[in-house]
Amino acid sequence: MPMPNVRMLGLPRAGSYINRLPLFTRGILAAIVLFEALCLQSWWDVRAWGALVPEEIGFATLYRANTYPFIHLNVLHLIPNLLALTPMLERFENEYGTLTSLALFLGPFSTFPAFLYVGMEKWVFRLNTAVMGASIWFFLLAGIEAIRTYRVNPRLVIAGQSIPTWTTPLVILLAIAVLVPRSSAFGHLCGLAVGYICGLGYLKYLAPPEWALRWIEKQLNLLGRLPHYVSVDQKTYGRFGVLPLSNLTPAPVVSAGLVGTSALRLRRDPRVLKLPPYLSLLCVLVGVAWLFLLPLNDYSRRTYISENALLPGQVHTYFSGSDQNVFRAYKHEVDALVGKTNTERNDKLESIVKGFGLKTARQNFTYQAAGHSYSGENLYAILQAPRGDATEAVVLVAAWENAKHEINRKGIPLALTLLRYFKRWSLWSKDIILLLTPDSIAGPQAWVDAYHDAHNPSRVSSLPLKSGLLQGAIAIDYAQEGRFESVHIVYDGVNGQLPNLDLINSIVNIAGGQMGMGVALQEMWRHDDGYKHRLRTMLRGMLKQGLGLPSGPHSSFIPYHVDAVTLQPFGDGWQDEMAIGRVIEGSFRSLNNLLEHLHQSFFFYLLMQRERFVSIGTYLPSAMLVAASFTIMAISLWVKSGQAEAERATVEAKTETAPAPAVERDLFLPLGVVTLIQSFSIVPLYLFNHVSESMLTPLFATFTLLNVLLPVLLSHLLTQAAAPTLQQYHLVKSFSLLLLGMFLSSLATLNFSLALIIGVLASPLSFARPAASRVTRLVTTALLSAISPPAVLLAGAAYWGADVSGVLREAAVGWHVCGTYSPVVVWCVWWPAWLAGSVAVLGRTGEGGAGGKEKTA
Amino acid sequence: MDGAKATPGRAVGAVDLYVSAAALRLAILALLPGLPVLLTGRVEISTPVTSFKRLQEGLFLYNHNVSPYDGGVYHQAPLFLPLFSLLPSFLTFPIFTYLLYIAVDLLSANALWRIAESGEAGSSARFTSARREKRWSGFVIAALFLFNPFTVATCIGRSTSVFTTCAILHAIAKAVSGSPFGAMVALSFASYLSMYPLLLLPPLILLCYDRQRPERATKSGLKFSATCVSVVAGVLALLFQMSYLITGSWEFLPSTYGVQLTLSDLTPNVGLWWYFFIEMFDSFRSFFLAVFWLHLSSYVGALTLRIRRQPLVVLTLLLGIFAIFKPYPSISDTSLFLAMVPLYRHVFPLMRYTFVIAAVIMYATFLGPAFYHLWIYAGSGNANFFYAITLVWGLGQSLLVCDLMFAVLRDEWEVERPEMVGKEIRQI
Repeated sequence: MPMPNVRMLGLPRAGSYINRLPLFTRGILAAIVLFEALCLQSWWDVRAWGALVPEEIGFATLYRANTYPFIHLNVLHLIPNLLALTPMLERFENEYGTLTSLALFLGPFSTFPAFLYVGMEKWVFRLNTAVMGASIWFFLLAGIEAIRTYRVNPRLVIAGQSIPTWTTPLVILLAIAVLVPRSSAFGHLCGLAVGYICGLGYLKYLAPPEWALRWIEKQLNLLGRLPHYVSVDQKTYGRFGVLPLSNLTPAPVVSAGLVGTSALRLRRDPRVLKLPPYLSLLCVLVGVAWLFLLPLNDYSRRTYISENALLPGQVHTYFSGSDQNVFRAYKHEVDALVGKTNTERNDKLESIVKGFGLKTARQNFTYQAAGHSYSGENLYAILQAPRGDATEAVVLVAAWENAKHEINRKGIPLALTLLRYFKRWSLWSKDIILLLTPDSIAGPQAWVDAYHDAHNPSRVSSLPLKSGLLQGAIAIDYAQEGRFESVHIVYDGVNGQLPNLDLINSIVNIAGGQMGMGVALQEMWRHDDGYKHRLRTMLRGMLKQGLGLPSGPHSSFIPYHVDAVTLQPFGDGWQDEMAIGRVIEGSFRSLNNLLEHLHQSFFFYLLMQRERFVSIGTYLPSAMLVAASFTIMAISLWVKSGQAEAERATVEAKTETAPAPAVERDLFLPLGVVTLIQSFSIVPLYLFNHVSESMLTPLFATFTLLNVLLPVLLSHLLTQAAAPTLQQYHLVKSFSLLLLGMFLSSLATLNFSLALIIGVLASPLSFARPAASRVTRLVTTALLSAISPPAVLLAGAAYWGADVSGVLREAAVGWHVCGTYSPVVVWCVWWPAWLAGSVAVLGRTGEGGAGGKEKTA
Repeated sequence: MDGAKATPGRAVGAVDLYVSAAALRLAILALLPGLPVLLTGRVEISTPVTSFKRLQEGLFLYNHNVSPYDGGVYHQAPLFLPLFSLLPSFLTFPIFTYLLYIAVDLLSANALWRIAESGEAGSSARFTSARREKRWSGFVIAALFLFNPFTVATCIGRSTSVFTTCAILHAIAKAVSGSPFGAMVALSFASYLSMYPLLLLPPLILLCYDRQRPERATKSGLKFSATCVSVVAGVLALLFQMSYLITGSWEFLPSTYGVQLTLSDLTPNVGLWWYFFIEMFDSFRSFFLAVFWLHLSSYVGALTLRIRRQPLVVLTLLLGIFAIFKPYPSISDTSLFLAMVPLYRHVFPLMRYTFVIAAVIMYATFLGPAFYHLWIYAGSGNANFFYAITLVWGLGQSLLVCDLMFAVLRDEWEVERPEMVGKEIRQI
């Protein structure tokens, strides 16, 4: 079989078309352009010289009947004419030869329409409209073509109405007359009329006789001397000669080359199908490598304050001096409350706050999660802004216990002292709310939910007292006794949502710049601003974000679009509680300045040092690439599932004529399998969120064991029940990967880190393929089991020294209290994808024709 | 379900199917009591002209003898008001409203079943596909409609577009079963409820004309269509008169159809109009309104002429085009289009982008709510996020429309030129 012709894409094809233009066409085009260029000078008015003006046609000016097609009004007239004329002229010349074209176009094809026009214009219409331009040739040629089309294909049926095909140039003529200003419809009509007459064969005698042309050609050896010359013998029978209908014995490959577009050819190329796994792998690798580039100076940016109204560190803070004595007094009171019940504590604290002259209120809440009851009573007080209208508020939170269940021994008295101090100032334009909660997770969550009326009244009571829109919240977690060195900013919200970067920047600015204390992020107590430390900070941040669990009292605020952080003093240094008090004072003064909600700076960012970050535009591509790798594989498997069958069809029935290009896929079974597996995911989601804590460990152990056996069992059942073909396994995998890619790319916009982590952990699923032999099948299954969600959970817990049941309890608490959706992602996105991937790997094709294909696939 | 029993030989599985579809909906309503409220509030399901919340507002005003169109919230047809007033109050007995919606869904499925069983999709009066043997039964097509997540979500979200869907499907079902009068009455109801189904009139008349019963067929096409148009006009006039009697004024015309024509409510939806008209300067508004409407209606004539031989195809494609380009589209319109598409099972092998279409539509389905969340709730995105996704959504649907059109035309072409079957073609 001969090799197919040189394959051409769009652009090279256009280039080659221009290269193949025959000689006379080139000459005409060049002449037209040349005349247009001549029009540019001023000393000779070419247009006046050459246009066809009926009044001026005399014997001496007959040259006008030949020159007018070469001359145009302006460039805008020229270009469409050239574009329209070129293909027609090229076709004409290729058909009749260069010499004939030359004779006809320089002679009758110019003069006949010209005389017709002049005659009609002068003696019938008594007008004198000058015409010029090559469009007359276009219509002439269109007329010839139309008559010829009419002979082959007389009627065009549109909606039952048959229209003679010779009218098509008339339609064009009308359209141009209506749409193009200053076009001479009558001039065009003259050209068209001559074209029709010529097409009908009445002007045949005008063409020079063939023997004469041959003689000239031979004498002058034109064919040898002139490039692009179309000889009398070379001429074809026109385009219509190569229609598939009349081409009775086309070689199959050539006909594919003729008929198939380049995209279709590309689709058939077997190399294209081999590409996706590598492409997919490349996506994953680039995605992960991208992440490791981020800490470099070239990819991350220094932080800056976007919101100018914040003016952090620009005010003098006065919290010191006698307030220290007040603090000590409150500290004594709070120390005395250790060991008392929540209500007793609140009674005492409420009396203190009432002593400032503030309104207070309490709120009860009870949550049930993992067999435990999380209940308590929040106490809060509202300091009405002396210069505000109670439409906005800032919250100061102090939980009795921090996230590690240490008593907030200094935080509570500090919050009380600050509130007392704030009461003395008259500059607040926003209300200040002091919120004292019994714990760090459930209490703030209950309060914020109730503040926004989004609570479940059966568990959380409504707030009796409310202020305006919350503009920000700062939580104090100061459990350590004695002085401290630096302050640790905790900023992760529920589900990986983050506060506006401006809030963190302001606090860094105030604490670091104004107060001269160190600032740490993500428990990186020492940070040398090197690559390693930056990377570690970033990865820790991503892990926390991915887990989506609340990390402190501030976490619950962020989903309500209230920017919030927790400040934790740490280390052994010389800073005292007054210093952290002044940091908070400064931050409150900055928040107080805000005219509108924090919105200027970023909501999606990764911090890698207190003054270095990357924004979403820089890091999102890595998660999207990982998600895209699944989609690529899904598409390739889909194509493959159609292709494999086609191949078999050709092998089996080679003698059959023209196998159908796309084979129908059997979709019901794969869709059913994927749907079934997806619906399984409700089981672990429900179990792990509704079992009491004591049952979590045995449940997890059982689940892990069953999880190893489940793919084997499922695959066995599937083979027994349906005996799927290889195509169906491909489709199962394709659909499951498509779903995974889709979920992950949606998720990447909400919680980048979670999407990336799951994406990377699930990436081997794209490359696992049905194993041929028993050994490889075993190995692949073992490897896949190692990356199953329970196994990863176990490994992660072991690595960070956490207790699996503790992690699961936290997840259950997050699910019930804060609405963390990470469990949904793990059990309803990752786990089903893993299960479907494992089933596809274990899959044995049923008996029949597909069995033989298994080895080669 | 009565209809299912009425025709013998079709009842196989019908009752089971309808019962299970109703049970699924009731189970969702019983097990997830928060879901209806959530879905009713979603912009993808409830548009200003179909929202159940707005209906309740109108109902409240109506029951308190205030014009329901006062306040500019209610933009739906006046005849909904007595219908829902007859039901026990939604707040005390929501189950009756749910049962009404479920019944409407089942009626739609039943109509779809009849359309599928008629075989009109594979062989119409003027064209018989060579591939018509390969088709799905009415059971499968009704099941695909009833268990389509979009349909279920619309039903749970109680969008009033289900009534329009039901009316359109019944109009088509009547047309294929050879009762032009019933078809025209059903179409009048659909047009009365949502206005845009009026654009389906030309292909529907053709469908009725082709499927007339031979014993009382009207030969003259002109006479036939004049009769059809006058029936539609008469029924619409009657409905308008009833609406006038109910509300006591003609105020409902600008508040229902006027809103659709002028797009005065710019609540975001899955369509392409709202964003344009938010951005637009007021001086250009009327011009672009005309352009948008002209664009929407221009498909009717063109498709009706081009695919004259298969009017049901025209109806299907138009429903797809409306789901993309009408002023207030929702997933309900998409579910109607997707319900009609399986009728063309026989041309599925000719479609070229099924996987891409499925992937694009699914991606848009998931990314849409995510971006809406980023825009409205998280505050970290903006309107462009959601609009970009609605563009993708429109792209997915328009791909499906184009691909289906390609497949149908290719099918016609292969019947005309059998020697080209299986050969790849390209545009010349």
